[in-house]
Amino acid sequence: MALLQAILDGLMIGGVYAVISIGLTLVFGVVSLVNFAQAQFLMVGMYVAYFAWRYLGLDPLAGSLLSFAVVFGMGYVIQQQLIRRVLKAPEVAQIFLTVGILIVLENLALIGFGSEFRSVQVWYQNESLAVGDLMISVPYAIAFCASVMAGLVIWWILAKTWWGRTVRATAQDPMAAQLIGIDPDRVYRLAFGLGVGLTAFGGAIILPYLTVSPAAGEQFGVLMFTVVVLGGLGNVLGAVVGGLSVGIIQSVSGLYLPLQLQNLVLFVVFILTLAMRPEGLLRQPS
Amino acid sequence: MKRTPVLILLTLAGVCVLPWCVSENSYLLRVMTLLMLFAAMAQSWNIVGGLANQISLGHAAFLGLGAYASTVLLNRVGLSPWLGLGVGMTVAALAGALLSLPTMRLKGHYFALATLAFGEVIRSLGNTWSSVTGGPAGISVPLVPEGGWALMQFGSTRPYFYIMLAAMLLITAVFWKISRSRLGYELRAVKANVASAEVIGIDTARTKMVAATISAALMGGCGVLYAQFNFFFDPDSVFSLVNVSVRVALICIIGGIGTVAGPIVGACFLLPLEEILNATLSSAGAGLSQLAFGLILILIILIEPRGLQTLYRRMTVGRTS
Repeated sequence: MALLQAILDGLMIGGVYAVISIGLTLVFGVVSLVNFAQAQFLMVGMYVAYFAWRYLGLDPLAGSLLSFAVVFGMGYVIQQQLIRRVLKAPEVAQIFLTVGILIVLENLALIGFGSEFRSVQVWYQNESLAVGDLMISVPYAIAFCASVMAGLVIWWILAKTWWGRTVRATAQDPMAAQLIGIDPDRVYRLAFGLGVGLTAFGGAIILPYLTVSPAAGEQFGVLMFTVVVLGGLGNVLGAVVGGLSVGIIQSVSGLYLPLQLQNLVLFVVFILTLAMRPEGLLRQPS
Repeated sequence: MKRTPVLILLTLAGVCVLPWCVSENSYLLRVMTLLMLFAAMAQSWNIVGGLANQISLGHAAFLGLGAYASTVLLNRVGLSPWLGLGVGMTVAALAGALLSLPTMRLKGHYFALATLAFGEVIRSLGNTWSSVTGGPAGISVPLVPEGGWALMQFGSTRPYFYIMLAAMLLITAVFWKISRSRLGYELRAVKANVASAEVIGIDTARTKMVAATISAALMGGCGVLYAQFNFFFDPDSVFSLVNVSVRVALICIIGGIGTVAGPIVGACFLLPLEEILNATLSSAGAGLSQLAFGLILILIILIEPRGLQTLYRRMTVGRTS
């Protein structure tokens, strides 16, 4: 029974991990960049939603849309001014540019907002629903539903709209895309903005059950990369599968293993996937 | 061409005399000592990052493993730090070898990711495995005022400076020797094209593993020295991504990745710069000096990712042409 509960909890949290990670995999798939600073955009999203709650009285769910918009704008500008310049440079440059952005974002938050932990108070924070013998925590459930909706929206955009096709074309072959009249730079700007915006959205919807601080991104960093590696870098559906898997693995290992080993389990999964199946668990790229 | 060895010897002589030109426990001497230590660390990173072009973002793990190995043994069984040096290097070497197994075929970003994850996991282990590491509170080297050379403990900063200088010279010598040896040749082949290297008979797996092990061992040795110099450390500082792993890699890159002088040039540039920033900015608030560090990093990447030596060449070539 405890196992079923753990699996259910894992599924719920996994949905959120999925939404957070879709952004990361999108950035890699389209811009071909491993964004080491992705988790810091999550932190920014959390802060935007927090301040929206504090000064505008917005529930984090509504605030999440604001987070998305703000961070989308940030991402758009960052891509335009910084990332564009290193896309043709050696990998060392790309890695350290995003690491530099990581450091800058975290310390800007530290300077601007201080190191205290802050949390929101919403009416549904401590509520749970009983389904048979299992308990579903309401904030988890709401976050899960929001994630599912966001995921569907993204899927629909990528699969069904003209813009989605443009993005996929650029991801597949930037040169060919350019030949048929697509401006890859514009696509990169939008894709990067979308990618970090999504992660920020994810951060906002988990605000009800987490606290925000400048270092809030750190706990999600390795996790996001594990999700994305499991699903295959660049594979959006894979990020969903990866997210759910990581959620379940984390939850179940929390049941049976001491704290020291839980992180280790995730790392082992991460390393083994990278070593043995770097293209991820799912087979075809998307 | 003949001038270079003479210049190097003169500089070395100058450097050796430096500690006697300033007061024993001056701030300046402390900065110089740390400069030597970080140059040594960057040089060990250079073996993997420069020769094999594998960007490791997790080298802090080896630093911390060495530091904890020797300090825990010192505290529990009174093991001399000099022997602790051997233990620390061995533990770090084992970790390096172990890590190189699954990461062997990874390239570029993927390798960086894997090493970053490794570093973070080791850090989290350091924080949660309190029974061994003392947890987030950290551990200290027991203070023995008359310890001297036997316990690698000194009241004055001067002996520490010479120890760090010796470490830096030693590791530089190792790097230089490797780069001119068969291993260096194999690493360059692997760096250029793994498949071709395999075709001409190089065991690329073994080559990478040997380089990783040596690099990790040397970094672990630096960890022991760091512990003895600092007397106190905790998981978040010794396993730090930004303050150790990124910093060490950055020093090497700024100075010129893959070159013998790179780490030294980089350390001589970055450490004094950081100290100046710290001195002027940290009173203004936490995070300001790290922010400046991040901004400088971005700036350097945008201007010349290949480092100061290349930048210098770029500027001088421009002038003469």
